Amino acid sequence: MLKLLKIEWLKIKGYNAFIILSSFFALGVITVNYIVFIVNKNMLSQASTANLVGVFSPYNFDKTWQTTSYAAGWLLLLPALLLIILITNEFTYRTHRQNIIDGWSRQEFIQVKIVMALIAAILSTILVFLTALTFGLFSGSSFSTYGISHVGYFFLKALSYNMIAVLFAVLIRRTGFAIGVFFIYMGLENFISQLLDVWSLKLRRDQDIDLGSMGDYLPMNSADGLLTFPENPLKSMAKAVMPTDYTWIVLGLAIAYLVLFYWWSTNRILKTDL
Amino acid sequence: MSILSIENLRKDYGPVQALKGVSFDVPKGTVFGILGPNGSGKTTMLGVIADILRPTTGTYRLFDEVPTAEHRRQIGTFLETPNFYHYLSGEKNLRIAAAIKGRGEKDIPRVLEMVNLTQRKDSRFITYSLGMKQRLAIASCLLGDPEVLILDEPTNGLDPVGIAEIRELIKKLHQEGKTIIMASHLLDEVEKVCSHVAILKKGELVATGDVNEILATEDIVEIGASDVTALRNAITQLAGYSRVNENGRLVQLFYPTGTANLESINQHCFSKGVVLNYLNLKKKSLESKFMELTN
Repeated sequence: MLKLLKIEWLKIKGYNAFIILSSFFALGVITVNYIVFIVNKNMLSQASTANLVGVFSPYNFDKTWQTTSYAAGWLLLLPALLLIILITNEFTYRTHRQNIIDGWSRQEFIQVKIVMALIAAILSTILVFLTALTFGLFSGSSFSTYGISHVGYFFLKALSYNMIAVLFAVLIRRTGFAIGVFFIYMGLENFISQLLDVWSLKLRRDQDIDLGSMGDYLPMNSADGLLTFPENPLKSMAKAVMPTDYTWIVLGLAIAYLVLFYWWSTNRILKTDL
Repeated sequence: MSILSIENLRKDYGPVQALKGVSFDVPKGTVFGILGPNGSGKTTMLGVIADILRPTTGTYRLFDEVPTAEHRRQIGTFLETPNFYHYLSGEKNLRIAAAIKGRGEKDIPRVLEMVNLTQRKDSRFITYSLGMKQRLAIASCLLGDPEVLILDEPTNGLDPVGIAEIRELIKKLHQEGKTIIMASHLLDEVEKVCSHVAILKKGELVATGDVNEILATEDIVEIGASDVTALRNAITQLAGYSRVNENGRLVQLFYPTGTANLESINQHCFSKGVVLNYLNLKKKSLESKFMELTN
């Protein structure tokens, strides 16, 4: 696998889109969190609003993991886009054929792409971990690993987005089209997810059936749903009427979807004409 | 040993049958031409061998073994179009090809020199002309000095000098004992460089074997007389021709190249009491042979 990855590195190291999108992502994660950090700090320094939000400081330890993961989660579109571009490039240049002709097996071709998706997810998680740690330390609270599971949820979300990107790239093959479908799908899923959430709410209220937030059971939202903004007074008030968050169901579904994406994209490359 | 043996290969694209059960063997050390008009299934067949297309039915073997990716690494293959990363230089593209093949990394300067691309090796692939792209693809095939090459229309897009150079290269590689499988729709290309040939027509194998046998040209002697019946009788006792054909009022006799003797034909007919009013020797062209085989 290391040999395959070295070849992938030869392909991307001089590629502008790779350099630009990955630096945007890295800078973005830091900047977004920095903005939230500063805004919150300013709010707390004004006595009137400080009373309103209580002693809520999202970058204190035991909150920083969740806040950073949640904020950075919004930027996960960038690595997904990059993966779509890198994979559809192979189809555009027909190098996917040439790689096989030159002596890769079809298995090797798709496997290394999936491993790249995994590596991208790991690297972005490391970045989020370091960012959370830094802001946590700067917030002046003492170190704690409480709530670090949210960094794990971030990893899951990153991997899910990346695997959806791999799947769409492999199925659609054309760069612009694949990116377009990715966005349309995302919008559509969010729309359906909201309808399902409203339905879940009604079920709970009218018939006392608590199925959890069903919007979180869809592919993109399952990884998304686990990443939430830290508990605060406003959120606690809403909680009384909301359906229960069945974390384990959502987590299980997210993993099941990952298996599906893996199987589908691999099968596509192995079984069809290239 | 067979470098490649194909057995009953079929490939359907929906209702279209691109290959209808093709079988043949490519012996070691030959320059094996796959000849056929556009759309006859040449590229489809090579695509199956390169594992980028899945055959509907049928099998093939490489080096007398069940084919794997490892076998493909030992074959320099150029299929249809030059496929490279547009944003990388020629040299960097070759570096990737060499890394995938697991050989030929040190060979890059040599192959670039062979196809006259040394000066442009640092230019991005997208800036290359069609001929340069084609030559880069051939250079990539030569990486690691493979024993077998598969070339699909290798002279496409090259200027006359480039075409001559590729032909010389193929001849030289043949002399070194390498096996070259080459698809082409250009008849004289196949005739000039190939030792063996397989002819495809609409997905079917029409003929395969030694190029001199398959593409053998013939002499045609056309004769005519006022009494055609007597002429027909007279020529039944004539020896040396392979077959007869009647073309309107003329009778055509087909002879292996260089064996037709007009004088003796005339004399023979006269001795049988038939006076010829038409006698003509026609050379059959390679093109008409090709048309005859593929139409």
